[in-house]
Amino acid sequence: MTAKPRVLIVDDEERFRTTMAKLLTVNGLEVTAVGSGKAALEELKSKPYDVITLDIRMPGMSGLEALAEIKKVNPGVEVIILTGHASVDTAVEIMKLGGYEYLLKPTSTEEIMNKIDAAYERKRTREQKARRSNGSQGAVVRSQ
Amino acid sequence: MGFKQGIAPYIASILICICALISAIIGSLGFAVAGILLAALAFGTSRKLVQKLAAANKQACFLDEKLVQSQKLASIGELSAGIGHEINNPLAIISQETEWMQHLVKRIGQGDSKGAAELQDSLKEVLRQVDRCREITQNLLDFARRKEPVYQEVNVNKLIDDLSRLVEKEAIRSRIEIRRDFQQDLPLVHTDAPALRQVVLNLLTNATHAVQKEGQIRISTKRAQNGSVDITVADTGCGIPKEHLAKIFDPFFTTKPEGKGTGLGLSICHGIVDRLGGRISVSSEVGKGSTFVITLPVNQQKETRGS
Repeated sequence: MTAKPRVLIVDDEERFRTTMAKLLTVNGLEVTAVGSGKAALEELKSKPYDVITLDIRMPGMSGLEALAEIKKVNPGVEVIILTGHASVDTAVEIMKLGGYEYLLKPTSTEEIMNKIDAAYERKRTREQKARRSNGSQGAVVRSQ
Repeated sequence: MGFKQGIAPYIASILICICALISAIIGSLGFAVAGILLAALAFGTSRKLVQKLAAANKQACFLDEKLVQSQKLASIGELSAGIGHEINNPLAIISQETEWMQHLVKRIGQGDSKGAAELQDSLKEVLRQVDRCREITQNLLDFARRKEPVYQEVNVNKLIDDLSRLVEKEAIRSRIEIRRDFQQDLPLVHTDAPALRQVVLNLLTNATHAVQKEGQIRISTKRAQNGSVDITVADTGCGIPKEHLAKIFDPFFTTKPEGKGTGLGLSICHGIVDRLGGRISVSSEVGKGSTFVITLPVNQQKETRGS
């Protein structure tokens, strides 16, 4: 487990994703940025990620479609939706699909960093629990 | 309406009374008494009926108003969500660039010589995003402002031919062929030329975006039924999915990437054609292309013009 979360930014707005990548990098994160849901799925196959920030309105595969596919490929990754489009229905759909958090643009880097930290913390806690659970099951099997 | 309903029972009763009096005069007393009783009964019944009718009418008016009001609120809701989304994206970039500039200023203070060029780039980006916001608000104002049409006799074939040649210059670079098929004896159309130009240019531009590269746009005119003319813009582009067709004229509905379209073009076209007394329709098939048809009345009458 790395100390810094590996973050994947998915946003079709090129300037947004490149500047966000620069800001998160100077804040000590390991960041990659891609412009579509399809590219994100390709990237997930090549490298492990801890947290994804995902836009909703994108041409081709929408953010919600991408979220569903991402969770199939990598159920453990935490996904933060970062969008300019606020709607209660969308928020509900995101939570149903297993999204971690919903952030409305514009937001500060500090706010994004806080959410990424919290999402990463959740992922690590979940993984530790899973390891502990697997370990205790192993111990039970050995004692038998 | 209220006045007419109010006097109806009185008129009915008076008529029946006259019948009764005539009967009395000709000597049939029993018939006269029956007539007077009938008059009293008719007065009471018709008065009740009119009261019920008025109450039902009042209730229907109230429901109509409620319906219009809820439709207005729904439209405002959709519009607000669209504006929010369109403005929030450039705002997000401005916010990020500002944070990045703060970081750069620190670096420059520490003697980083490359920081100045990056700072200049970020400032330019902020200005670009301000322009993007300005374009959105300008489009909104155009959408909201109902310009009174100025009617003239317009040669629609000539107007469309000029516009198609303008678009062709750009289209040729993307190897898009523009075909023209104009009905030669088309009557002059009593319409607003600049408004019609705006609509046709928008449809042609959308068609070039849909085709992107190597395809065809066909623009045609023909005399339609009921003294109208049809202007058709058909492309061999990507087409519009069925589920999007119903929303295609809604404000802020777009399938274009972020920053490439505000989703107001077709809703503005719809508003203009409506004010010109015409209608606009679309049919499309994904992968095959889309066809937009504007139907305009040849003689738009003064009394039917939009305000």
